[in-house]
Amino acid sequence: MNTPINTPISTSINTPINTPFNTHMIKRLVVKDWYLQRGAIVPYLGWGALALTLLALGGEYWFFAGSILLLTLLIAKGIHLAMATVIEERTGQTLSFVMSLPISPMEYTIAKVLANMLLFLTAWMALSIGTIAVIAGREAVPDGLIPFTAVILVDIFVGYCLILGVALVTESQAWTIWSIVVTNLLFQAVLYYVSHIPTVAIEMKGAEVVWSRPVLLVLLAEAAAIVLTLAITFYLRSRKTDFL
Amino acid sequence: MNDLAVNLEGVCKKYPHFTLDNVSLQLPTGGIMGFIGANGAGKSTTIRILMGLVYQDRGTVTVLGHVMPAQQAAAKRDIGFVSEDMRLFKTATLAWHMEFIRSIYPGWDEAHAQVLVKRFDLNPAQKIKGLSHGQRVKATLLLALARRPRLLVLDEPTTGLDPVARREVLGALMEVLTDDRRTILFSSHNTLDVEQISDRITFIDRGRIIDSGDKEAYLDRWRRIRLDVPAGVVLPSLPGAVGGVGRGGASGGGEGGRVAVITTGQFDSSMTAAYQRAGAVVHAIESMTLEEIFVANVMSRREGPAL
Repeated sequence: MNTPINTPISTSINTPINTPFNTHMIKRLVVKDWYLQRGAIVPYLGWGALALTLLALGGEYWFFAGSILLLTLLIAKGIHLAMATVIEERTGQTLSFVMSLPISPMEYTIAKVLANMLLFLTAWMALSIGTIAVIAGREAVPDGLIPFTAVILVDIFVGYCLILGVALVTESQAWTIWSIVVTNLLFQAVLYYVSHIPTVAIEMKGAEVVWSRPVLLVLLAEAAAIVLTLAITFYLRSRKTDFL
Repeated sequence: MNDLAVNLEGVCKKYPHFTLDNVSLQLPTGGIMGFIGANGAGKSTTIRILMGLVYQDRGTVTVLGHVMPAQQAAAKRDIGFVSEDMRLFKTATLAWHMEFIRSIYPGWDEAHAQVLVKRFDLNPAQKIKGLSHGQRVKATLLLALARRPRLLVLDEPTTGLDPVARREVLGALMEVLTDDRRTILFSSHNTLDVEQISDRITFIDRGRIIDSGDKEAYLDRWRRIRLDVPAGVVLPSLPGAVGGVGRGGASGGGEGGRVAVITTGQFDSSMTAAYQRAGAVVHAIESMTLEEIFVANVMSRREGPAL
């Protein structure tokens, strides 16, 4: 049986109870989620490769189609992960099995966030790097589009963090679906707002990559939103008193 | 009391439609407690609190010397927990689950795990989604038993099992009992299962512990007394008589008829003597099953009179 968990047993489970976190258990849970969800990354990467091919084909129509496919894939991957690793664990009643293991609720939350980040960022990084490489490599597409693309890609990551946070805090399918609706509306709003900033609108059509002040401010706001979302998630999880 | 594996003192938990009210429960190390209650009585809530999965509003919980829920991670290193509603990951195999648990618990006993695989007739290569309910419960029990926990907490593990699977599960638990360092808390609404393996009994109803004690003492002090009651004879009201069913209207503390059936949780010979002195004829003194005791106990509590 060659599974990722087939690694030597650590004895760190016997660490004193005043150790802040049981890193061994957190690692085991991250590896567990990676093992159970690893197969689901492959189709996204496959479709992502198709999207990048469309971007690289040339022609406005194919570029538009590739962009839509790429964004759809990244958004769908985030929704898929939050549903499969958090909501499904509750509705599928595997949560009681996991919570019966020697972990605290906070360690569970840390493991869940880390596993999700690992799984999401694997696909996100691969497709983001691919997208930027295609834009940089294609003569017909202005390199000035790269900062705007970065804003969009990071915005998708912000939305994913929000969906994951709501899933972790509420463990409710209904609330998570509403968070998906809100996140997509916010995504469209950010897209509209940033693309209508005059300097950005001009620079994205230029041949040079310009990290203008508005772009950097938006990226900074997005980074702050990620940190804030995760901080609120941990805070609200720390106040929970029922874990089944 | 250091020899208590589980100690709950004055535990309360309030939900909108259910309240666990001032629950105190002590289980000595090496003891096997049957935790009996009807559906919705509070068994699972109590067990979740002692596992640290639900936090109590009030009261203290200590499990294997660890204060819960603060030290739950440390406590759960030595607890094997199986509940009726616990599921394994359906897309993974049993072998994967065994490896997963082995990677977490240094005390995992692979030889014992293989014995259980054979005894439970399980196929480690099979995915969980292909297992029947009985196989799934046995797989979950295997994962708990092979780690050799000091405390085994079983929440309705035999619910929904066919007779053969139930026998296999109870057989495995009986084997665990041979290790007198092992403590077991076994919740069920199936009193027959509890009666077979427990040495202590606790009844819970509507969120309250209604009785708790040694099983043999329980069975000894509960009797059903059948009386022939001549017309005009008034039966005395005795402590512990929790009710009667009479043909012709006789009941505990009631009057006249042909036959009265008294159920008591405080039986001793002076009781029959008192009925005889009153003019009744003791027709039979019968032992009661745990189920009969449980039902009598619950019904009497719900109807009011103290035992």
